[in-house]
Amino acid sequence: MTAIKHALQRDIFTPNDERLLGIVNVCKAGKKKKNCFLGDFYKRQQTWELRDLTEVDAKDASKENPEFDLHFEKVYRWVASSTAEKNSFISCIWKLNQRYLRKKVEFVNVSSQLLEELPKAEESVPSGESQSVAGGDEDALDEYQELSTREEQDIESMMVTCEYAISNAEAFAEKLFKELQVLDGANIQSIMASEKQVNILMQLLDEALGEVDTIEGKLSSYEEMLQSVKEQMDQISQSNRLIQISNTNNGKLLDEIQFLVNYMDLSKGHIRALQEGDLTSPKGIEACINASEALLQCMNVALRPGHDKLMAMNQQQLLFAELRDTFARRLTNHLNNVFVHQFYRSSCLSLPGHDQSSTLSQHTAELTLPKHSPLHRDLLRYAKLMEWLKNTHREKYEGLSRTYVEYMSKLYEREIKEFFEVAKIKMAGTSKDPKGKFGKPTLPRKESALKQETESLHGSSGKLTGSTSSLNKLTVQGSNSRRSQSSSLLDMGNMSASDLDVADRTKFDKIFEQVLSELEPLCLAEQDFISKFFKLQQHLTVPETEDLDGSLPSKKPPQAEHRHSLSSEKDIVRLMMNKIFQSIETELNSLIALGDKIDSFHSLYMLVKMSHHVWTAENVDPASYLSTTLGNVLVTVKRNFDKCISNQIRQMEEFKISKKSKVGILPFVTGFEEFAELAETIFRNAERRGDLDKAYVKLIRAVFMNVEKVANESQKTPRDVVMMENFHHIFSTLSRLKISCLDAERREAKHKYTDHLQSYVINSLGQPLEKLNHFFEGVEARVAQGVREEEVSYQLAFNKQELRKVIKEYPGKEVKKGLDNLYKKVDKHLCEEESLLQVVWHSMQDEFIRQYKHFEDLIGRCYPGSGITMEFTIQDMLEYFSSIAQSH
Amino acid sequence: MASGKNKNQSSLVLHKVIMVGSGGVGKSALTLQFMYDEFVEDYEPTKADSYRKKVVLDGEDVQIDILDTAGQEDYAAIRDNYFRSGEGFLLVFSITEHESFTATSEFREQILRVKEEEAIPLLLVGNKSDLEDRRQVSAEEATAKASEWGVQYVETSAKTRANVDKVFFDLMREVRKKKMSESKDNGPSGKKKKKHCCVL
Repeated sequence: MTAIKHALQRDIFTPNDERLLGIVNVCKAGKKKKNCFLGDFYKRQQTWELRDLTEVDAKDASKENPEFDLHFEKVYRWVASSTAEKNSFISCIWKLNQRYLRKKVEFVNVSSQLLEELPKAEESVPSGESQSVAGGDEDALDEYQELSTREEQDIESMMVTCEYAISNAEAFAEKLFKELQVLDGANIQSIMASEKQVNILMQLLDEALGEVDTIEGKLSSYEEMLQSVKEQMDQISQSNRLIQISNTNNGKLLDEIQFLVNYMDLSKGHIRALQEGDLTSPKGIEACINASEALLQCMNVALRPGHDKLMAMNQQQLLFAELRDTFARRLTNHLNNVFVHQFYRSSCLSLPGHDQSSTLSQHTAELTLPKHSPLHRDLLRYAKLMEWLKNTHREKYEGLSRTYVEYMSKLYEREIKEFFEVAKIKMAGTSKDPKGKFGKPTLPRKESALKQETESLHGSSGKLTGSTSSLNKLTVQGSNSRRSQSSSLLDMGNMSASDLDVADRTKFDKIFEQVLSELEPLCLAEQDFISKFFKLQQHLTVPETEDLDGSLPSKKPPQAEHRHSLSSEKDIVRLMMNKIFQSIETELNSLIALGDKIDSFHSLYMLVKMSHHVWTAENVDPASYLSTTLGNVLVTVKRNFDKCISNQIRQMEEFKISKKSKVGILPFVTGFEEFAELAETIFRNAERRGDLDKAYVKLIRAVFMNVEKVANESQKTPRDVVMMENFHHIFSTLSRLKISCLDAERREAKHKYTDHLQSYVINSLGQPLEKLNHFFEGVEARVAQGVREEEVSYQLAFNKQELRKVIKEYPGKEVKKGLDNLYKKVDKHLCEEESLLQVVWHSMQDEFIRQYKHFEDLIGRCYPGSGITMEFTIQDMLEYFSSIAQSH
Repeated sequence: MASGKNKNQSSLVLHKVIMVGSGGVGKSALTLQFMYDEFVEDYEPTKADSYRKKVVLDGEDVQIDILDTAGQEDYAAIRDNYFRSGEGFLLVFSITEHESFTATSEFREQILRVKEEEAIPLLLVGNKSDLEDRRQVSAEEATAKASEWGVQYVETSAKTRANVDKVFFDLMREVRKKKMSESKDNGPSGKKKKKHCCVL
């Protein structure tokens, strides 16, 4: 506080020759206290004259309250920073009031204590002019008042002149008092003298005020002027804005018109192309395509609402619609004509040719289907226009596709019919040819014909990869079957019959393959064409659709709808294919029926071929017309195959042996062999191997069953022989062909063969020594019943006499005759082709010797010491065998 | 069709071949290798079995009938009958067993006796040529014997199929040659001329 006071005195009051008597730190009452001391810099803000002060209100006399009011021309409310400060400030004012103003100022709510403080007479106080806070005793307040240098010098010089001051203070004080009085008087005099100057100053001030007033008046008139200018400026800017708006509007309108003109304007060239453009020449088509695209673009321009209210727009749209309809009509008519024309042209081309070939050289007629690639190529030039038509005139587009299907189905029906006709004739030719022709010398001719066929196939292969691959396969197959043919020659060596069959069947196989490989590219090409020409997308990701979408951003169907439309488009393609090729399935079925009729074994070839083609077609596209159709036909083929198998089984079951001749190898046993041989060459590694294996198992079961059935029914030939010979044959067949799924049956056949060989030998050997056999069987039976061996001879029926009697019946001569007869009988029972005679006879010799030894052994054991021996020795027996051997 | 085929089959020329030799020399192994292209390691003595196969002999389709016989036999006379039925013989021994080579002479003599003729189509076959390290019969010895008999000696391996086709085809050629010369000689007369007792 003191520091502030000091600083204030130094910075503000001293320069003005004023003194700071009191200080209070205040802020405005009611307002938040704000500390305004910033740095060491103070500025005088406002001054009040003490003489203007009318009232001091301390608010509360008793309580401590920092608030107080000072009443000047108006009331100023203050709040002191502390009550003590307030009090000292008020007392200071009071003192000044007492001293200078003769108690003019009223003190309200001031504690009497504060006011009672008697003022000490102070002489050193100078005039309190322009002093807001004046009065107050510096001594009383115990405040340090710095002396100015002048004061210091004055005091010092005074002190010097009054050397005695220290020793005689009283005298000094008196001296000072006197001097002060003099100064006071001088002061008053100077004050009085300055009054005139003050008056002059006041006057000057009044003049200045007058000047200020005139300036103010001028200023306010300027201001008024400016006000009006501002209003004008406002108006100007508003009109400016309006101009800008109309400008942009004009710009937009211009854009709009430009847009409409750009997009809605169709060049005259385009209009002409649409109205009368040439639809036959490539150039004309190109122009039409461009024009139609431009038209479509114009018509598909995304119009903003309101555009339709434009007269010109309506007119333009009407014009477009008219152009569109005209062109659609023109295009439809033209394409209709093209279809019809193409149809009649190809009819004319094919019909006379057909007539010639049918009468003259049906056999040499090429087994080929006419290709429609030129037609397709011609029509594909219109593909873009078709797309346009599809997008603009759905009905006309659909009408066109109906017409196309109608004419093409007629065309294809006729061509396919002819094609199948040729195929059937060729097929029938193979089997109708007299078999003699197919002798060895004609083989080269067939080879060359085959070569020619494959060459012609190559010629017609086209560019479709699918067909070429199948052709390659065909040629490979061809060489394969040729090889298999020659190898079968090596294997079987019978040129005449089975080779004939093989040759016929191979030829059939080739014809069938050719039919399929001709149909395949035809269907694929047509399907390809349809989807391209009629813009029916077959696959989900086709770049063309994306292009289309890109160029026409206005109509972008949602993804789901898009996909849906694609799948339905696929259906449309299939429907069209179905109609166009409706005859294929029936023709194929009738061809298959014919093949099956000619030779039921053809179904084996057909199954393998058809399966392979279905497999290939499905690999390309499982949903294509071709693969579904072939799939359907394959069912028929498989049914035929099954029928072929069941027919064989039925034939086995219906087989009756003749009662006169010996049975030998049953026809169905060799039939099975033939079937298996053929099937192995056909199926080898085919996809349908599993079907064959299933058929094998069925067949072999039937063979086994029916061999046994026939054996049981056989009269002339013993059951054992039928079993033995046939199972021997089956065993050797299975051993040779090594059909792995029939391995168990192979072993079973071997088993049955050896079993029946054994039982045949034993049963047959009962006869030459029949009575001896009976006798010794009896002996063995006794022994088995518990009769001791040495005691058998005591049995009446088996005594030595009986033994001798039986033995006597078999002298060497008789035995030899019996063996001779047996050999002849065996020879008669057995068939030539299985050549088991030596095997059987070998077994019989063995068995006969074994029997003889057994008899001798029994005699030795049951009739010991009887000296009875057989009428013939082993040596005799061996001689009989040798002589039988020599006798034939 | 089947009946026609049977007729055709039976009308083919048929050559009857007999496998002769001691037990375990590989007669069945040779036969199975020739017939079915297979080699069976397990040995199971054969009693007798008959096989038939269609082959092309020098461009001609013929049938071969192979009688595979037992090597062990208690009585040699039992063989008489099938020796008699055979037209050609493969006289087989094992090069790893000298005894089997010695036995071939007896077999040959029996064949000659039974057939009552000397110019019999016959090949001396030394089998198991793959077992060179166990060889007991030298090629020279066997060749000497063969030339003594005026027949061909061939070493075979039923295991590796070495010379298997050769012995059968060579034998069939011999048989065919003999049949052709006999038909030129007006059949039975030639046969009778040769008929004489053989010295044992």
